[in-house]
Amino acid sequence: MPPSTCYNCKAARAVIIRPKNRHKLCRECFIQIFELEVHETITSANLFFRGERIAIGASGGKDSTVLAAVLKTLNERYDYGLDLSLLSIDEGIRGYRDDSLETVKRNAVQYEMPLEIVGYGELYGWTMDQVVEQVGKKGNCTYCGVFRRQALDRGAARLGINHVVTGHNADDVAETVMMNLLRGDLPRLSRGTSIVTESGASDIKRSKPLKYAYEKEIVLYAHHRQLDYFSTECIYSPEAFRGSARTLIKDLEKIRPSSILDIVKSGEDMAALVPSQVRGAGKSCKSSAPADDEAAGGCGSQNGRTSGGEMAAMENQLAANDTAESRETEIRIPRKGLEAKKIKTQTLQYCEQCGYISSQRICKACTLLDGLNRNRPKAAIEISLEDEEGSSTLARQMERTQLTNS
Amino acid sequence: MPAIEMDAPCMECNEANAILNTRNRSFCGPCYQRFLAYKVWRRMDHYRPRPQKNVKPTKPAQPQLLLPLSLGVSSSVLLHILDTGLKRQLAKSGRTSYAIHILVVEPSTELPMSVSYDTHVDAVREAFPTYSVTRIPLHRVFEYVPDMTDIMAEYAGPQFTDDASQSNEERLAAFRSVVSTATSKSDLDTVLFTRLIVGYAKQAGCESILWGDTDTSLAAKTLAGAAKGRGASLTWQVSDGMSPWGIKFDFPCRDISKPELSQYESVCPEISAVVIPDAPLSDNILTKNLSIDELMLRYVTTQGEKYPGVMANVSRTAHKLETTSGSPSALCSLCGGMIENVKGNETGLTVASQFAGKGSQFCYGCMRSRPEIIS
Repeated sequence: MPPSTCYNCKAARAVIIRPKNRHKLCRECFIQIFELEVHETITSANLFFRGERIAIGASGGKDSTVLAAVLKTLNERYDYGLDLSLLSIDEGIRGYRDDSLETVKRNAVQYEMPLEIVGYGELYGWTMDQVVEQVGKKGNCTYCGVFRRQALDRGAARLGINHVVTGHNADDVAETVMMNLLRGDLPRLSRGTSIVTESGASDIKRSKPLKYAYEKEIVLYAHHRQLDYFSTECIYSPEAFRGSARTLIKDLEKIRPSSILDIVKSGEDMAALVPSQVRGAGKSCKSSAPADDEAAGGCGSQNGRTSGGEMAAMENQLAANDTAESRETEIRIPRKGLEAKKIKTQTLQYCEQCGYISSQRICKACTLLDGLNRNRPKAAIEISLEDEEGSSTLARQMERTQLTNS
Repeated sequence: MPAIEMDAPCMECNEANAILNTRNRSFCGPCYQRFLAYKVWRRMDHYRPRPQKNVKPTKPAQPQLLLPLSLGVSSSVLLHILDTGLKRQLAKSGRTSYAIHILVVEPSTELPMSVSYDTHVDAVREAFPTYSVTRIPLHRVFEYVPDMTDIMAEYAGPQFTDDASQSNEERLAAFRSVVSTATSKSDLDTVLFTRLIVGYAKQAGCESILWGDTDTSLAAKTLAGAAKGRGASLTWQVSDGMSPWGIKFDFPCRDISKPELSQYESVCPEISAVVIPDAPLSDNILTKNLSIDELMLRYVTTQGEKYPGVMANVSRTAHKLETTSGSPSALCSLCGGMIENVKGNETGLTVASQFAGKGSQFCYGCMRSRPEIIS
């Protein structure tokens, strides 16, 4: 078979089959088209204004690295007049985050952007490694997700910036749409697809300029521009509810590559059809936060979610509802038209402990922290002192105590 | 089907042995049928004429409802349940609150050779002699959708030339063959079936169409609709209410799962000759050769074994979305979906942004299934 020529310039040799529409493109055209599409996303949504200071949520992974590279390129090419910085969260996961942070530090040099790192340790007194030690591997993503959301806001505030861009791609958004359909979560369905989430829950605006970019194309872009990124998944990410949606998306992509975009389109339309009285409501303080299910840093799997048995738990709950309903006698008052259910709406207030915006008296992060701190072994160090003096274990424990007390 | 020890009595009547099991209850055959039938009858309750105060009761026009029968399990069981209900009404009060017409649309795809359509349709007439049973082939869509020829030409693009000298059957087959992928084919077929059934219902003066979809198939439709960019159409495709053609869609089996209806069928000998059994889902098929509709049905079916409630909840969620009926947007000439975005979705993807250069008469979902114009 003769080598095909580029679909776009009709001159150079095609080296890429675009995952989105199977067009054959040369390297230069692919890079150019990818950037142009992000540019169109940015301009059509009026994402930025001239002189705006933007913090790029950077994890060192492919999405945020590509985001930083593209934004830098576009900022120069189209003269957006943006002031870009990198903002990283250090969850304190040894063997994962410390390595990826090195990548971010290199990126900061490569792209000549200032970098701010906010650590869970300094912010909450708990690193994720310590949290996992305490709560186990199951359910720790909840902590990470709740902590990260606040950490990003606090980091941005520290930089004096109120617009954070994150590396969410089309696959992430599609996954969220499917997941929220499966979970029956209308409030999140109404927010999950919007490119900008500017909720009352935070002064910081969040946006996702890569919302329409395919994950596969992001990888291709990073590869062909030889970007320096870190490609290990979080060591703690377990299989969770999102996993089911993710598998589905991967299968759909095999059948019809455009379906990722089509799901995003459906999600956008459905979001506008969520009844307004449901829109703001949510189950807990969690949902008062923006719809980002994954924030910029890291795990990109399921933070803010409980792990494992969520589907089974929901099944049990629904079955119980069903049984209860069958025992009820329904008394209906004839009413004209649709029955409008009254739904409790949230009132936002400030957390009594930390001052962060919350729908509850105490914000979710503080609630989680209270639980952690209550169970923190207070005497751990004394026991080991007696047990094995001068050993390396002691040294390690000392180190940890210092860390946690800081 | 879960087997029960012979000495377990039915939880409902306590007289017969329980042979079927659902939702943590065990029933004998008749009680099981009643249990499911109530769920359907409750959905049909709104057709019952309500006497109004101070208004002299006049004889209200009886609602005429169309029941499209695919001869599959769901629509056949629905018919049986409705028939039972109507007979009860008749015995009680001497009249029925609605009348149903049965429409059998012959699929244009090849059935397994062993299945004789005629036998099954005859069985319907025999089992339900009091109803009108009409049988039409899919290519009659040209009669019931008058501008079908134009829509077809526009949709298929330059690769397709309609030969009016051919029979309608051949013309339709030629049209369907230009659509290449399994997903687009099944998407187009669904649209054509819907158009034909709606067209027939309107001509027959029916006010609603009673679809046989179970919560299983509604969940699959919801997920598939979302995956095909038809999210905005879900509000009438899986929800009770007004369709774009001014005729109501009802899904009376929406509270029942497919396995539950299959169990019903197993204890209902009256319809055993009617139902054409589903072809079993084959295991050795490559995912990429499936259509999105098939993929989702498989997903919902397999997940539904473990999490029936979660799957049932999917269509309930879609049911909660606000209706788009009455929206000023122009409607797709093929599927009836909105061409423009839903109001409130201003910055999202649009037909124009994705399929540039075409002032479209088709919606996003149909544009996606359309044969690609090779330039």
